[in-house]
Amino acid sequence: MNILKTFDIQDVVLKHTLPVRLFHWCLVLGFLPAGITGIVLFLRPFSSEGMHLAMQIHILGAGLLTLACICFFIFQPGRVVSFWREIFSWTKNDIDWMKVSGGYPQKILFGKEIPVPPMRKINSGQKLMGIFVFFAGIVVILTGCILYVALPLVPKEIAWYTDKIHLIVGMCLLVAVCGGHIPLGIYNWKEFICMFGDGTIKIKDIVKHNPLWIEQDIEKIK
Amino acid sequence: MKYNYVEKAVQITRREFIGLAGVAAAALWTGAYAVTDLVEDRNKYIKMRMAGLYKDDEKQAVRQSHNNKSLMQMYGKLAGKPMSPLAEELFHTQYVNRMIS
Repeated sequence: MNILKTFDIQDVVLKHTLPVRLFHWCLVLGFLPAGITGIVLFLRPFSSEGMHLAMQIHILGAGLLTLACICFFIFQPGRVVSFWREIFSWTKNDIDWMKVSGGYPQKILFGKEIPVPPMRKINSGQKLMGIFVFFAGIVVILTGCILYVALPLVPKEIAWYTDKIHLIVGMCLLVAVCGGHIPLGIYNWKEFICMFGDGTIKIKDIVKHNPLWIEQDIEKIK
Repeated sequence: MKYNYVEKAVQITRREFIGLAGVAAAALWTGAYAVTDLVEDRNKYIKMRMAGLYKDDEKQAVRQSHNNKSLMQMYGKLAGKPMSPLAEELFHTQYVNRMIS
């Protein structure tokens, strides 16, 4: 890669700042328990005590998720705007990236690396996921609040639709996270360690995934 | 791990600031409106319920269960006395603690 010529082999970049990592931890600790207990509440496999415990975990997880989103929105507006810019800016590179699915099926299934269009901080698949998570997250949080706080007060029809929307959008979100985001996160192990660890990563380790970001969006600490 | 590169600071444009402030204001306004609406609705139902209970109470000739002849007759004929084994079996339900500690 030509970009590497301008960097030292040992150069390290802070990819995810502390507030971003804390927010991500809150999403993990809030969304996953809420999502899994959501399935339990839907299937009702346990006794009344078990279901009661599942509901408590569901509410606590959802509370953490909601609080984290509100705090991140208030205290990190720069990151929110940066996220919006990334997920809503689509170029020909993104279309080409989507056409080959980022080269992941070829790499995972056939062990073959194919040329992939260069990306910024997040790739086109993550952009698609970002758009879905942004809107679906708002829908799930709002419908959850109605179900928790205002169920006896809203008309029956609205309560029924709220319940169904919460269920379907929540399940889609859980499938997208557990079926796509988490496996691919684990597959890109160094990125995984970066997000769950101290947020740093060697530039040589992300030069393939984020060449445009390295080229245009980072600067040396003075 | 020590790092020597960071992401450039994000400069928020006027358009983005208005967008962000708009979303925050809409969320806060909707939330505040919903809360006042809920409180008003809740108070309305509580007041209606209270008025209904007082009205029912005023209409009743017998206002205590131990003075209720038909209830005492039922206990006499069917369940022996209040808290008898049969009364427990027929009328008492299981308690499940639903408090969030």
